[in-house]
Amino acid sequence: MSPEEIQQIFFVECEESLAAAEAGLAACRAGTHDSDTVNAVFRAVHSIKGGAGAFGYSALQAYTHTFETLLSDVREGLVAIEEQLVDLLLRALDTLADHVEAAREGGDAPADAALIAEMEGAMAGNAAAAPAAAAEPEPAPQPEAASSDDDDEPKPIDDLDLAALLDDLTGGFDAPAPAAASTNAPAGQDKRWKVHLRPRAGAMRNGSEPLLMLRDIAALGGESVFCDVSQVPPLDSFEVAQGYLGWTFAMPADVAEDAVRDIFDFIGDDCALAIGNDEEIPEFRAEQTAPAPKAEPIAVAPAAPAAPAAPVAAAPVAVAPAPAPAKAPPAAAPAAEAKPDSAEKPAAAAPAPPSAGQSIRIDLFKLDRLIDLVGELVIAQAMLVQRLDGAGITATEELGLLESLTRDIQESAMSIRAQPIASVFSRVPRILRDLAASTGKHVKLETIGETTELDKTVIERLGEPLTHLIRNAVDHGIESADVRIAAGKPPEGTLTLSAEHRSGRILITIADDGAGINRERVLAKAVEKGIVSPDAQLSAEEIDNLIFAPGFSTAQVVSNISGRGVGMDVVRQNVKDLGGRITIESVPGQGTAFILTLPLTLAISDGMIVDVGDQTLVVPLAHVVESLRPGEGDFHGLGSNAQMLNVRGRFIPIISLKTALGAPTGATNPQEGVLIVVDTESAGQAALLVDDICDQRQFVIKSLATNFRAVEGVAGATILGDGKVALIVDVDGLVACALPAQERQAA
Amino acid sequence: MSKTTRILTVDDSASMRALLNHALSTNGFDVAQADDGVSALEWLAVNEVDVVITDINMPRLDGFGLIEQVRGGTRHRDRPILVLTTESSDEKKARARAAGATGWIVKPFDTDKLVAAVRRVAH
Repeated sequence: MSPEEIQQIFFVECEESLAAAEAGLAACRAGTHDSDTVNAVFRAVHSIKGGAGAFGYSALQAYTHTFETLLSDVREGLVAIEEQLVDLLLRALDTLADHVEAAREGGDAPADAALIAEMEGAMAGNAAAAPAAAAEPEPAPQPEAASSDDDDEPKPIDDLDLAALLDDLTGGFDAPAPAAASTNAPAGQDKRWKVHLRPRAGAMRNGSEPLLMLRDIAALGGESVFCDVSQVPPLDSFEVAQGYLGWTFAMPADVAEDAVRDIFDFIGDDCALAIGNDEEIPEFRAEQTAPAPKAEPIAVAPAAPAAPAAPVAAAPVAVAPAPAPAKAPPAAAPAAEAKPDSAEKPAAAAPAPPSAGQSIRIDLFKLDRLIDLVGELVIAQAMLVQRLDGAGITATEELGLLESLTRDIQESAMSIRAQPIASVFSRVPRILRDLAASTGKHVKLETIGETTELDKTVIERLGEPLTHLIRNAVDHGIESADVRIAAGKPPEGTLTLSAEHRSGRILITIADDGAGINRERVLAKAVEKGIVSPDAQLSAEEIDNLIFAPGFSTAQVVSNISGRGVGMDVVRQNVKDLGGRITIESVPGQGTAFILTLPLTLAISDGMIVDVGDQTLVVPLAHVVESLRPGEGDFHGLGSNAQMLNVRGRFIPIISLKTALGAPTGATNPQEGVLIVVDTESAGQAALLVDDICDQRQFVIKSLATNFRAVEGVAGATILGDGKVALIVDVDGLVACALPAQERQAA
Repeated sequence: MSKTTRILTVDDSASMRALLNHALSTNGFDVAQADDGVSALEWLAVNEVDVVITDINMPRLDGFGLIEQVRGGTRHRDRPILVLTTESSDEKKARARAAGATGWIVKPFDTDKLVAAVRRVAH
């Protein structure tokens, strides 16, 4: 794996961490302050910091350091989780996202000085120290407590011992060392210098092996000049772990003292060390070897003379009770938090498992190749069935097995690409915060069905239209606070995002509780823009759909968020490119909902295979509402050519595919063929007249444009079971261009 | 060394694991990976190891918890365990030692120092 690839992993990880932090902070804002939630946020920022350091993104690292320090205080309970703090953390997270983006794109780091100052101000040692100290009966040394440690709780006495001993070790030998060097050099008798050591009982603990250290010294050129064996007891009282032996090594003059100290860096006070020609092997002391490894009574004594060490080392002792009660709630919390956690925010909980579970990362290209091949397999399987069918072999057990296996493989392959929509939804809070800042409209977000999975590509390409719809909803849909209050609504608007599976498709709803679409104004605007004629009679649904017309904008004041009038038609195009559809449900005074119907995947679709004359066509099942063979009484003429179909009291136009596609043969009389009722975006429902419906099956879309050119009314092509190429009907495009033609003919 | 030193790296960050893996395997070590304390223990239950390198802050079971479990068990009790720490204060080191770590590696790590640290503790 190349460093660039590892870097890529880091940025993917950053996205995950940002999402996890966002979810955690959202939960905090909703009132979930348990240790797991706070810790998850901390861990997310911590992880970005770690990577930033490793990959040399210094601006990102510096920023995350401040952020992490504040979060650490929050985690310790030194800073209270209040609304103001959560807001600060959320803003800090937004800037963190910008930092990550800057690191990834190689751009300039965002300006963060003010935010860093604000975060520092919120830390336990500073502005917030007062409330923190007030909450805690403990007096002065509070800030020390913040820098003291977190996760586990060493007994205060051990902290004292270790810190003091460490100080003793370094402080005690720093002074003589240069002295020894200075006496050595001028004397010049023995250029070598000596190191004396005696492993203590603890040197065998924690997986340490003193023998390795002796070897390391030897590797530096050290020569064992003396080994103290005087303390070795008779065999019957010999304890394996005791440090009976001591050594003096003579080191070459060119070996730096630090090189030797490095060898003992890990083992610390578990090996007594003395450096200098005048020193001796540290004394043997019998130690309790088995239990209580932490209690080293002797250490307390040398701690006292080491003057500067004492207060520092004593500090943890004095404040130790402070962090302890502060951490007690987190420890006690798990039981209590379990309920609100699982009940309130399944989304925040859901993204965590993927990182916890066993997973591997695969190049998307490889995955796409697999999906492509599975598509081909589906076709090959269909061809085989057709061929065998032609040879009179049907309904064999093996064929059934192959078919079900193919389907299983296909589903598994699809599920590899599937991702929970939470990754899209999790970006929404930030959009809303930005909008609140620029519009002054505060909007509450509700999300439903974040765990709904859909294809990665669909998820990726969903971000843009979704963002636009959300901006649109806040900008145009939700009223300002005073208007809302006047209308008897809560001042804060609500935006509901939901996702669900419905019959093999995904339904995503973006609903606001705003004013609804002002149809009068939309119509007036559309007439003004020349989109519809002034005398057009349009249904409410048709008026609503006008907002998708290119160049349409109803905003009184064109804001910089939405309202440039380039948005909604692009949104519809984006959704359409995904093989989806968008519909509107709007109730005046109550709100507007945009409903996106999307395919689970882009690679394979379900379609109806139909015959028109000698042509075989595919009608994507997504559009199909029903198919029927109507009786004579169900038709109503409209003008000379056009006909309407009466479907349970509703009249919908009939479009003959033969006429629309200019096929030489095929049914033109609705009573001779089959009618397929389809849903369209722009023109409501229509009934497509075909000769016959042959089959319903999955098909792999092959773009016509890449091999030939884009053709109006044709979405692409596919290969049928018999190896023939069939065109896929672009239902929206076909109906949209066929209807006006009929109207013209009718007129 | 007669046989390849086998190292288990434990970190919840995939990029950190990848970095460790890259640094260690290019220096001739045999590297296994686990993404938290729990999966590390699962791996240790069925594998032998020469050195464990673990991050501290991880979901499910953190580094200190992992060390405690390893030291409290029998099979891998005497294995060297290095902790990855972002802070190099003496106090943090003393704490790592007190928690049962054999040594530490300061993040962001330098490949040479990482390799030296591993060689220093590998039995």
